Amino acid sequence: MAKFLEYVPGDSFLHRMNPVAKVLCALLISIACFCTGNLIFLVAVLILDFVMAARCGMARQAAGLAKAVAIFSILLALIALLGTPRGPVLVTLPWGYIGIGSIVAAITVIMRLVACAIPLFLVMYVTQMNDLANSFCKIVHVLYKYAFTFTSAVHFIPVFMNDMSGIMEAQTARGVAFDGGMVKRIRLMVPLCVPLLISSVRKTNSAAIAAEVRGFNLRTCQSGYKDYPFTGLDVRAIVACVLLVAVAIVVNVLVPPLF
Amino acid sequence: MIEFRSVSASYDAETPVLHEVSFTIEDGDFVAFVGTNGAGKSTTMRLMNGLLEPTAGEVLLDGTPTTQLRTSQLAARVGFLFQNPDRQICCNTVRDELLFGFKAQGRADAQAEAKVDAIIERFGFDADAEPFLLNRGTRQLLALASIIVMETPVVVLDEPTTGLDFRECAKVMDVIAEMHAQGTTVVMVCHDMEVVGDYAKRVVAMTAGRVVADGLTFQVLRDPAALHAAHLLPPQVSQISMMLVERNAELADTAIAQANTVEAMLDAMQEQEEAVSHG
Ligand SMILES: Nc1ncnc2c1ncn2[C@@H]1O[C@H](COP(=O)(O)OP(=O)(O)OP(=O)(O)O)[C@@H](O)[C@H]1O
Ligand SMILES: [Mg+2]
Repeated sequence: MAKFLEYVPGDSFLHRMNPVAKVLCALLISIACFCTGNLIFLVAVLILDFVMAARCGMARQAAGLAKAVAIFSILLALIALLGTPRGPVLVTLPWGYIGIGSIVAAITVIMRLVACAIPLFLVMYVTQMNDLANSFCKIVHVLYKYAFTFTSAVHFIPVFMNDMSGIMEAQTARGVAFDGGMVKRIRLMVPLCVPLLISSVRKTNSAAIAAEVRGFNLRTCQSGYKDYPFTGLDVRAIVACVLLVAVAIVVNVLVPPLF
Repeated sequence: MIEFRSVSASYDAETPVLHEVSFTIEDGDFVAFVGTNGAGKSTTMRLMNGLLEPTAGEVLLDGTPTTQLRTSQLAARVGFLFQNPDRQICCNTVRDELLFGFKAQGRADAQAEAKVDAIIERFGFDADAEPFLLNRGTRQLLALASIIVMETPVVVLDEPTTGLDFRECAKVMDVIAEMHAQGTTVVMVCHDMEVVGDYAKRVVAMTAGRVVADGLTFQVLRDPAALHAAHLLPPQVSQISMMLVERNAELADTAIAQANTVEAMLDAMQEQEEAVSHG
């Protein structure tokens, strides 16, 4: 089973794109999402996200991501709901009111975050970390040191998650019951941060030493064998994403808000 | 009693890890699970305290399926030592670590404190030391001690001696042997055949998620088919006893053919000598 943010091998157009172009396109799509508050446009971007995910066989992951981001953004949505008095009044509050417009604003917040997060995460699923670091090094001339730091940080996420579940298992086996209310769960989990932190620091430290003794500092941008040329596909994708941003701006200017 | 009835298990739907594993462990037994890396030994251990649920078949603990009880409830009956002690250690002092199990199970009373003090004394721990700063062997010993102190009727130990030097290994195994002598059922995963030969009463050999041999220690460690299937190198004493029997078929019915340990071999040879001189 594919793990969180772990590369899934494949041969879709997303897999074949240049890593730098992928990141650029993902960023452009995110920018487009923030250029407009038009709900229909955001839904269209979300559909586009899912079509892309489905094209490379990652609809399931995308759905999981969408759910996670949506849950994460509920707090922001709540703030939007309570703090945007717009449209026909539904409920009056001491400081204003909740209207139909407030609900639309809350939905927009969630839609926007989900629509802009999916492409960014999707990049991780369709790009090998090595390729990502090397291509940024070769094309954008990012120092390999920084590219490597980023990729190893991402690489460690599933490792940490695995560690955490292992630590929780160990405590369960000693009689800790990790169920019941949220507060109780969190109280039980806090002490477990100690072993997690210790194992992380140990792991990070030994990974750094291992990289050092293998000549990490000798590495330059020219060290990789593989070249990462831009192809027609990359150019077309970038142009499409730039157009998307343009459309977002135009929509924002021309289409008046619903409420 | 622990009973596995055609148990299959997997971590994800696609790749089964255990295939129809069946065996029974009686109370008071000392069973060693041996086999190659990835054979499914740790997986089998995790099934014993309900950390993992079988995808098919049943795991029964004293007749109750483990699926009916939660792991935290099973903790009072099955002590579990993990392969990696650092996953288990989570307190700021050795003393707190040893008390942790009692606290988790809501049994941290004066009696528990007395038990903890006794075990600190016995293992020679520094009660206020920071567990994470101890060396590897002592951390392993601490993890083991925090399982032993709970005095569960069954202990499941996943590679309790891996990574320890000879002296630490002997220390750990002596503690385990003593627990067993007092009636605790011991289930242990071990890669060191010398340790298995010296301590285990029974051996279960696994390969690729299946049990390939299950019997008394001296039987399994002398069974060429089992040794080959599980890629095991028997302890040197077993090798010598096999060679002796090979050269002299008359020895097949004597204690020499059953010796796993140096002491047992010495006794058997003395006995044989006496028998020859009398006969
Ligand atoms: N948490 C997990 N998720 C997915 N697969 C796992 C997990 N733990 C183990 N496996 C897989 O299950 C199989 C059996 O693993 P297990 O840990 O039971 O082997 P083992 O006999 O204990 O090996 P070792 O001697 O290396 O400890 C292996 O192929 C392993 O990759
Ligand atoms: Mg194991």
